[in-house]
Amino acid sequence: MKRPRIPTVLLVAVLAGAGAIGCRVLGEAPHAHTDPASIYTSARPSFGAAVRDFFDIRPEPKQPFQFPHNIHIKNEVACDVCHEGVTQGPVAGLPSVKTCMICHVSIATDRPMIQHLAELETKHIDLAWQRVYGYPVTAHVRVNHAPHIRAGVECSTCHGNLGEQTVAERVVNLHMGVCVTCHREKNAPDDCTTCHF
Amino acid sequence: MDRRTFIKLTTVTGATATLASCGNPENQIVRFIPDDDIVPGIAAWKPSICPLCQAGCGLQVRVMDADADVIRDGQRGVMKMLVAKKLEGHPQYPINHGGLCPRGQAAIQITYHPDRLTHPLKRSGARGSGEFQQITWDEAVGELVSRLDTLADGNGQQALAFLSRRRPSRRQELVSEFLARFGAPPPILFELFDDHVLRHANRLSFGRDQLPTFDLGRARYVLAFGADFLGTWNSPVAQSVAYGRMRQDNGGIRGKLVQVESRMSLTGANADEWIPLRAGSDGVLALGLAHVILRDGLRSATAAGPAAGALAGWGEGLPNYTPERVEALTGVSAARVQRLAREFASETPAVALIGGSPLAQTNGLFHALAVNALNALVGSVGTPGGVFFTPAVSSPTASAKAVVPSGAARSVATLAADLHAAQQPPVQVLLLDEANPVFATPRAWRVREALENVPFIASFGTFIDETSILADLILPDHSFLESWVDALPESGALVPVAGVAAPVMRPLHETRAMPDVLLEVVGKLRRPLTTPLPWKRFDEMLRQQFAALPVPEGDAWTRAQAQGGWWGELPGAAPAAGSPAPRTAPPSSSAVPPRQTVSPMQFVEPQFDGDASGYPFNLLPYPSQTVYDGSLAHLPWLQEMPDPLTSAMWSSWVEINPQTAARLGIAQGDVVEIASQHGSLRTPAWLSPGIGLDTVAIPVGQGHQSFTRYASGRGANPVSILAPLTEPVTGALAWAATRVRVTRVGDANGQLILFAGGMREEHDPTR
Amino acid sequence: MANRWGMAVDLDRCTGCGACVTACHAENNIATVGADQAARSRAIHWIRVERYWEGEYPDVKVKFRPVMCQQCDAAPCEPVCPTYASHHTADGLNAQVYNRCIGTRYCANACPYNVRFFDFFNPAWEKPLHLQLNPDVSIREVGVMEKCTFCVQRIRGAQIQAKGDKRSIADGEIKPACAQACPSSALVFGDLNNPESAVSRLSRSPRGSKLLEDVGTLPKVTYLSRQIEV
Repeated sequence: MKRPRIPTVLLVAVLAGAGAIGCRVLGEAPHAHTDPASIYTSARPSFGAAVRDFFDIRPEPKQPFQFPHNIHIKNEVACDVCHEGVTQGPVAGLPSVKTCMICHVSIATDRPMIQHLAELETKHIDLAWQRVYGYPVTAHVRVNHAPHIRAGVECSTCHGNLGEQTVAERVVNLHMGVCVTCHREKNAPDDCTTCHF
Repeated sequence: MDRRTFIKLTTVTGATATLASCGNPENQIVRFIPDDDIVPGIAAWKPSICPLCQAGCGLQVRVMDADADVIRDGQRGVMKMLVAKKLEGHPQYPINHGGLCPRGQAAIQITYHPDRLTHPLKRSGARGSGEFQQITWDEAVGELVSRLDTLADGNGQQALAFLSRRRPSRRQELVSEFLARFGAPPPILFELFDDHVLRHANRLSFGRDQLPTFDLGRARYVLAFGADFLGTWNSPVAQSVAYGRMRQDNGGIRGKLVQVESRMSLTGANADEWIPLRAGSDGVLALGLAHVILRDGLRSATAAGPAAGALAGWGEGLPNYTPERVEALTGVSAARVQRLAREFASETPAVALIGGSPLAQTNGLFHALAVNALNALVGSVGTPGGVFFTPAVSSPTASAKAVVPSGAARSVATLAADLHAAQQPPVQVLLLDEANPVFATPRAWRVREALENVPFIASFGTFIDETSILADLILPDHSFLESWVDALPESGALVPVAGVAAPVMRPLHETRAMPDVLLEVVGKLRRPLTTPLPWKRFDEMLRQQFAALPVPEGDAWTRAQAQGGWWGELPGAAPAAGSPAPRTAPPSSSAVPPRQTVSPMQFVEPQFDGDASGYPFNLLPYPSQTVYDGSLAHLPWLQEMPDPLTSAMWSSWVEINPQTAARLGIAQGDVVEIASQHGSLRTPAWLSPGIGLDTVAIPVGQGHQSFTRYASGRGANPVSILAPLTEPVTGALAWAATRVRVTRVGDANGQLILFAGGMREEHDPTR
Repeated sequence: MANRWGMAVDLDRCTGCGACVTACHAENNIATVGADQAARSRAIHWIRVERYWEGEYPDVKVKFRPVMCQQCDAAPCEPVCPTYASHHTADGLNAQVYNRCIGTRYCANACPYNVRFFDFFNPAWEKPLHLQLNPDVSIREVGVMEKCTFCVQRIRGAQIQAKGDKRSIADGEIKPACAQACPSSALVFGDLNNPESAVSRLSRSPRGSKLLEDVGTLPKVTYLSRQIEV
């Protein structure tokens, strides 16, 4: 949501106040109902959320537990074993507990975390992973993983060396300049509608 | 900031919103493990069948993952599910060949509708109050079983009635079988815009109690009487596909369309020649053409075969239908009659269609018989470019006809009359399956009052509407995308078609497939059925029926599921767009010989309700291109889709000729009262060049009182004020036979919403 | 050779049924604005069916014309955009980049075809209608312009698929939602740089003409007029 230029001091003051205010729907369509939970909208839930979105201020992702990418990579589990969509289509995806249990039904079953996973599976409850990489909805970016994999781009190019991370961290700042530079170097299309539509 | 925003800023909502909440939302939400193995972002395509009208077009459904709000074991959460995203026409399905009408495109909104019934319900307030409380499926099934047991104990099986829409299918067959084996009468199949009259005429003329199929793609000359065949009539997508070919893909021949009707319909807008005529005189024009053809020796009288026997005077050359007499009765000039006749006889293949309002007159049967005879006369029955009947799908295991003959079952009219007449209601238990006669019948029939006399009503429908709101028990069905679906289309293809498809997605709510509920109920009845039903689930029945169908290779059931159904091949060459169709045997030689249950008919003046002085205008209600017969008014895309002829959205309107309007002082958008002898309504006026001075037309579909948030309290329902006149032989409602008076009651009040309003292509009624 | 996307609309086949209108809504996440906003002329229909009445009763004729963004080669909406949100792509599309758009609405002002629509408010879908939303298409927010993109998501998807399969895109492989739904096959889409494509052949038809051709926008949609009966 774009706003006219506001002095930064004023903005910060407003931010501080607005962040504490409760949830309501901003700029909803006139026929919306009063319960925001029943509406899906591109409106930001509060003024504070809108401002944060505009500046791409995101809270640090809080993961359900410290998933060790480093251990899995050391054990030669390839990225697309768990992030399976990545070679086929646009989305890499975050795996469900079912995916974990494919191996962990027999591997490391003595670990309490693995036992917790098994318990979750019986209760049909999944891990609520939070997305680390990804753009705000208003950036209107449609990143398609499959052509990148096909072109031989390493996962770590955009997502950092996960061999050194437990949970993923946003170590690579994937601003548009990064994408366009690489596209131009590799003779990939740099037209706006390659990614923005 | 404005006051509204300030008030909102000071409120805190406590709802644990999912995607639209602030803070760090994902930690508060439980995520469930998906039921399916999902590769995100990848689309799969699955077949299905559109349920919205009798055409039964084949669908291809795009299925992808989405995060759905679900409840599991009483806990709210989010789960990735494979859900339907888009409906397309199935490219190979022999009805629609990849095309889809706007209503079919919008059908997906049924599954995701916010007002869909999600659980079984039991009435908790007064009947019709809309107050229900949630119950479990066990309780709901148990209640229904107990009601049926009570009926059976008292030998009252005849007092069970089942009211549904007309959808020839194995599903309908299952219902018929259940009722027959329980000892109850056959189901009442209700459709407001159903051409019972045409089926009956086809039975008399050709021995086929069935709607016709037209090979328009190979026709050179199409003469249509009243049938909006490109919009809403019969099998509109099949007809539109063929129409496209007729125009530009028929070996360099461009077919000509002549439309004869009293109001410019969507189809009429595409005609090369548009001919308005006096309401209720279509058959006169058809026989006028036949008269000239016979008189000029363009065909011999015997060419028409048995179809001509239904019409008086054929053998004598139809002396009562001279061009001059036709002009006097129809308003079509004698010269035009002669020219049309010569064209129809020479620009072959030529075919005539009739449907819609001409048949909805008290003399409708005559018009249908006349058109049938005209087709037979020029040799267009069963020949390329002409009229055919979709062959039936033979199935050795079917013990009852899937298509319930049109005259056999009780109609809504007789049901209502019976309920009013008897002291002890002849129906003790009424089961509703998506039909909405309280909305779609004249108030004069007093259907709502009649149903209120029924002691117990249960509804399987997916929504609360004007009829299901009267229910005591709700057992909500899945939407079609969540169900096994099947169709045995009566028309629209030259080959036999049996569509079938598995559910394309898991149920979103706590609904259950009606056929499965029925089978479960059957299994729990205290007294077994006269002959047991051999299936526990509907797909078992389908599998049995389909497995028996002949296929060139492989397993019939697997094939049918993969491609969305089974269909036959044309005898001989594979059907291709340009190649000539092998000649199928004329229907009369393969089916029951036509029976003359009426003596040869001649034209009688149509009867109208309301005298010409007090009620000077013919009222023409017509199916809306967007919301059809009202059953689709709850879909927001269709409400917002501009009507093709007026560009109106979210509106009702009455079409009035500009000269008539000027005479009555009515400007565009003014509120007008339309009154018949049976009621009145108010709606804005739309000045239309495409309607006569003595006719007004109102689209059917709006005017709902209780049909979801999108349709309730919007517009006016012209069906409610119709007179209860019927066609005497079939008993079909003559919905075009009501006369009304028109009075201006107010200025334009913004009720008429036009998408084209203010744009330069808006029709200027003053010029 | 680069693609140059265009369409042909055969008005002799078009029946005015409106399937294209609803199909476009379904494919492109177009908001339903509701009756009140529709009354304020804020309804959004990327493709619409226009109707032209000629004559008076009883000699009355109607002509239908589906109108969508003409993806003009000399698009008047492009030079007026201060942020380059509306610009021309190498394959002939008039792109609308939502995140660049600041909502001056000058493009809609300049467009002679009235095919550009402004989001006056954030669209809302009453759940679970939102489950139908197409993940391949953006949800637009308040303050941006939107219009027909020739289903660019389908074009880009096909291009990626073809590149992965190491082949070129076949004629007829890409169908925008409107063309796919149309029962009478009135709408044809394809590559105008391929002289043998269906759209190229139809564009050369003697019945063909362009909408508002003399305004000089160089539209890439060719309308084939209804054939006149002799």
